[in-house]
Amino acid sequence: MKKRIICAIGLFLALDIFYGCGKRQEVPSTKDESEEKVQLKWVIGMSQCNLGEPWRIQMNHDVKQAAEKYPEIKVIFKDAQNNSLKQRAQIEEFISAEVDLIIVSPKEAAPLTQPVAASYERGIPVIVLDRRVMGDKYTCFIGADNKKIGQAAGRWIVERLNDKGKVVELKGLMTSTPGQDRHTGFREGIKGSGLEIVFEADMKWLEPDARREMESALARFDEIDLVYAHNDPGAHGAYLAARAAGREKDIIFVGIDALPHEGQIYVKQGLMAASFEYPTGGKEAIQIALDILNRKKVPKEITLASRVFTKENIDRGGEWLEEEKSTLKS
Amino acid sequence: MKAKSTLKRKSSPTTGWLQSPFIRALAALLFVLALGALFNAEGAFFKWNTHRDMFRHISVFAILACGMTLVIITAGIDLSVGSILGFTAVLFSIFCIHQGWSPWIAAPVCILAGAACGAASGGLVARFKIQPFIATLAMMVFARGLAKWVSGGQKISTAVLQPDGNYRYVEVPPIFNSLNSKILNQNVAVVTLIFLACIFICWIILAKLRWGRYIYAVGGNEEAARLSGIPVTAIKLFAYGLSGLFSAVAGICQAAQELQGDPEAGMTYELTAIAIVVIGGTNLMGGRGGIGLTFIGAMTIGYLEKILSINAVGEASRLMLTGAIIIGAVLFQKARK
Repeated sequence: MKKRIICAIGLFLALDIFYGCGKRQEVPSTKDESEEKVQLKWVIGMSQCNLGEPWRIQMNHDVKQAAEKYPEIKVIFKDAQNNSLKQRAQIEEFISAEVDLIIVSPKEAAPLTQPVAASYERGIPVIVLDRRVMGDKYTCFIGADNKKIGQAAGRWIVERLNDKGKVVELKGLMTSTPGQDRHTGFREGIKGSGLEIVFEADMKWLEPDARREMESALARFDEIDLVYAHNDPGAHGAYLAARAAGREKDIIFVGIDALPHEGQIYVKQGLMAASFEYPTGGKEAIQIALDILNRKKVPKEITLASRVFTKENIDRGGEWLEEEKSTLKS
Repeated sequence: MKAKSTLKRKSSPTTGWLQSPFIRALAALLFVLALGALFNAEGAFFKWNTHRDMFRHISVFAILACGMTLVIITAGIDLSVGSILGFTAVLFSIFCIHQGWSPWIAAPVCILAGAACGAASGGLVARFKIQPFIATLAMMVFARGLAKWVSGGQKISTAVLQPDGNYRYVEVPPIFNSLNSKILNQNVAVVTLIFLACIFICWIILAKLRWGRYIYAVGGNEEAARLSGIPVTAIKLFAYGLSGLFSAVAGICQAAQELQGDPEAGMTYELTAIAIVVIGGTNLMGGRGGIGLTFIGAMTIGYLEKILSINAVGEASRLMLTGAIIIGAVLFQKARK
């Protein structure tokens, strides 16, 4: 009997840790609301689909940093811990708490379309960040285009290698859309060039896997000119494998994401030749939010411009990729 | 049921060589090696570097498997090894990179922290009789939380965020470089030597020490072990504590190889560690198995991954082939008589 009770308590604790953490984090943010309301004009609810990836932590960081400049707004952050239904509940909570605006970075389109639409129809504006919802019942979508970034990377690589060379492609999880888009975009970018993809493997966004795959590529091919990895940790893992083989000087490493504490640093240290930014849109979301709250007209859709960081331009803050600069930046 | 299996074990040395689990594990390894020789990716499989890199890559998993072997022999399971790896990788990086501690202080502190996590789940299992699966599942979640908390959710790298939002760059600590290097004329990775040392320590414990025999006894028949005066609670604490300790060693190796502490490191590594132990032939029911089997299991899994990798097999087929080959190897080992 005693054993069973203890088992039950253990199970309860395990479940509690699984499901309870998110809620507990939210408590302090609502506590001091009443005192601040004097100078506070608007409350913004932000639902992030998960905080397991550095890129999403960066997004929250960008939102927070941008919001700190405006004392009239206050952002309440919620983490859906990679659970669509939890994220759905969070949006419903925001609606019933009557926040002035909702920013959501959805995990998946289908389960979140309906709650986002419900909020929109009740007159609470919704900014959708990075991943889309279905239909058009939201106020503004802000996101970057992985395919275009892949294309830009492809064209940059063709130019850098003077139209010929042997390339290794280390792919992100190929069941995910960013992985697929960064792959197809890249292939479009190098189409018709003299580049040869000698080795491609799925490293699932993970640095240790990238290192293992690169070791295999190095074992098979004595001549590799460039590694194109779908994210910067992948390029870094490949660099470490090449360095262990004493071949890092002969190979150029290119990655995507260019987070300030990851890709940009690798470029600065000279490990990577270039990193293509996949912008989080956090800063832009706050600017758009203020425009909406100040009753200004905002575009329905904003495609974020991306920068390329190289050793030459990193101290100047990178270089915008040609073509479309997003409306905000011009 | 358990008494029966004890009897069987006693009589097994007298039967033919094919019955030996060691030979069976070796046969599975040879099968995988034959696959490698067949699909050698234009000769890449026959280069020494391929084998050296395989050992480097599998070392971290194999170190986890060392601790896992001890726990599985007590008829338990430890799901928390991957999370403890992540936690100690972050801890070691904070101490060495950010705080600039000497590795001679940082490493023992991390190893103690890992052992404490392991002993905590061991305590839940041994003292409070919580099922190992549940106790270590809780520790798996808890230690992952610890890793994210101490790191603030960010990777701990040589770029240190200053309060003003800029980054300060620090040198990679020498201990990271030496653990990440290769010695003996560039022929053996240092982490592989650490893995071999862990195997040796486990062999000493299991084959030479009285407590090692107790570990088998507890796993074979806990009640009988208790009645014959074996300190069952202490033995379980010992096994789970060692599993945590080895996880910390693996965490330090992982941090050194990535040149950073990643709070997400070690996700799903516990499954690979269990696969290594099981494919070696150690029985999940407890009481049977050995560290030599785990060593062969590590090579089998390592070569399997390597062969799929050098042939650039797609992810989908890779997962299916890995699953099929693991089942094949285990079935082969089961086919006694």
